[in-house]
Amino acid sequence: MAAIVEAVNLKKTYMLGKVPVEALRGVNLKVESSDFLAILGPSGSGKSTLLNLIGALDKPTEGQMLIENIDISTLNDNQLADLRRRIGFVFQFFNLIPRFTARENVELSMSIADMSKDARRKQAQDLLEIVGLKERMNHKPAELSGGEQQRVAIARALANNPKFLLMDEPTGNIDSKAANDIMGLVKRLNEEKGVTIIMVTHDQRLASQAKRTVQMFDGLIVTETVNNQ
Amino acid sequence: MKASDILSYSFSAIRLRKLRAGLTTLGVVIGIAAIVALLSITQGLQETITQQLQRGFATKTLIVSAGGGAVFGGADAAGSGFKLFVNDTQTINRLENVELSVAIIQRTGSVQFTTGARNVTIVGVDFTDYASIYQTTFVAEEGVIPHNSTNEMVVVGKRVSDPWKNGTILCNVNDSAEIIWLNAAARPPKHENYTGNVTAILQEIGGFGVSGPSDFNVYIPLSKAQSFFGTDQCNMIIVKLINDDKTTIDDVSKAIKAVFGNQVSVMSATAVLNTLSSVFSVIELFLSGIAAISLLVAGIGIMNIMIVSLMERTREIGILKALGMKNRTVLLIFLGESVIIGLLGAVIGVASGWGLANVVAIALGGGGGFGLRNQASHAGGFGAMAINPVLTPTVTLLALAFGIGVSVIFALYPAWRASKLKPVEALRYE
Repeated sequence: MAAIVEAVNLKKTYMLGKVPVEALRGVNLKVESSDFLAILGPSGSGKSTLLNLIGALDKPTEGQMLIENIDISTLNDNQLADLRRRIGFVFQFFNLIPRFTARENVELSMSIADMSKDARRKQAQDLLEIVGLKERMNHKPAELSGGEQQRVAIARALANNPKFLLMDEPTGNIDSKAANDIMGLVKRLNEEKGVTIIMVTHDQRLASQAKRTVQMFDGLIVTETVNNQ
Repeated sequence: MKASDILSYSFSAIRLRKLRAGLTTLGVVIGIAAIVALLSITQGLQETITQQLQRGFATKTLIVSAGGGAVFGGADAAGSGFKLFVNDTQTINRLENVELSVAIIQRTGSVQFTTGARNVTIVGVDFTDYASIYQTTFVAEEGVIPHNSTNEMVVVGKRVSDPWKNGTILCNVNDSAEIIWLNAAARPPKHENYTGNVTAILQEIGGFGVSGPSDFNVYIPLSKAQSFFGTDQCNMIIVKLINDDKTTIDDVSKAIKAVFGNQVSVMSATAVLNTLSSVFSVIELFLSGIAAISLLVAGIGIMNIMIVSLMERTREIGILKALGMKNRTVLLIFLGESVIIGLLGAVIGVASGWGLANVVAIALGGGGGFGLRNQASHAGGFGAMAINPVLTPTVTLLALAFGIGVSVIFALYPAWRASKLKPVEALRYE
């Protein structure tokens, strides 16, 4: 099967003041359609940097980051923005717009993608139903629990039929029961709807719920395991 | 992102900070209101003055006076000692394109009726010729302006007969009037006087009477004025032309100057109006400049607010970019916010500026008049003058454009900075 995401000898060096920091030192990775990959590693291992590159939020210093075989280094700002519309981001801190209701937050990503008002309203309702928040879609983030906010974020990430979901510690900021629910939802999306998922975490137990786990350390992928479900 | 979605997003951001947006808008409102109020009052004033001048100042007339430019005062030439005499009208009448000319002798004096006295300007003119030049203003309301005048006949202005506009009438037609003049040239100076008879009371003229008829004047026949004031020297000669073409005005002006060896000044109503209009242009420019400074301050306020807003919303911009929003759209969202503020401020500003102008006009125009009541001047003086503020569509549109323009210009830099934020850094921003 064709790889949706492929990293080839990926390197990223930051300047921290005047000191260069090698966050990624040659990462090779392949993610295929309908995969569920967990990227596991301690903080400072470079997993967030890798996530930013997969999400086309940043460009590599060296090597290639291919998304559907297109090297993101060759894209300009506008093309990168277009690409990001088809990537579903889920952040640790939800990153919802506080002044918008749950439904409006989900609609926002569709309005950025030029979808018509009627179509996006319906799509937002459908998605909020899928994540189990149909009853609370007119609430603002401040009126929702952490778990509920993350469901809204997942609905928003799914809005533009993304190539894959990119999750950064999706349960890192919510209680364990809600975290289990979220993981259940994510697994369901992967298994029933075939949504490709790339999830970054430092939590071994969460990682074990994915189909595959790669372990990062010091800017490199050190091990790769296929989890038995 | 669709334009309507961009606008509604901008609007939602403004609504989030109502007080702040309100205060920023207030800055624009004050700037625009100041411009609109000042301009509409100035334009109203200009219109009023121009109208009144045109009324008392037939456009196909020239005013000839001795010396260099002392038209309004009608003073003697200071330097050369050149004097203009009553029979100089014959010289002028012979010139091409001149229909007729009228010599005017006038002195400051007073008139005594049985009911009271008034300080007036006593003007000696040929009634028939004068009425033919000022057909709309030298018109009798009561009595008849005599064609074959005798020495005793007196024509009085409306404000001489009815000085306080309250029904207290000092004189009626056929009343006797004692005309008094202080002959300062005599030794010792002495009051000269004679008793005349009121033949006509003029209808109200209003406004200025620059060289034309005035509500505050008393008119006596020219021949009587010559004997009463003991002079053949006239203050000015009013020339009626066959038309008011610019070439006619220029040609006759030159010809008159030529026959008097450049010892006279010739003023045309058109020239006065043009001068006045250029003076008003300068005043308008100056006042708009002052008002524009407040708009500039408002613009800086907008920039300040947008930069603060940019700081506060860095993370939000990061989210938007992660969701695939283009740089251009981020720029438009920020500009959209300032356009909304600018438009709102400009609309309220135009409305409140117009309101302010009317309040000021009422305050100035109420209670019997604006400006001076310079009854005894040679020229006639100001009457009660109401200003009607004028708000032209041009000024309205310019004010709106200016308000929005300033808002956009000062928002450009913050908006550009927002659009250039790197998504990774913006998302990391706390």
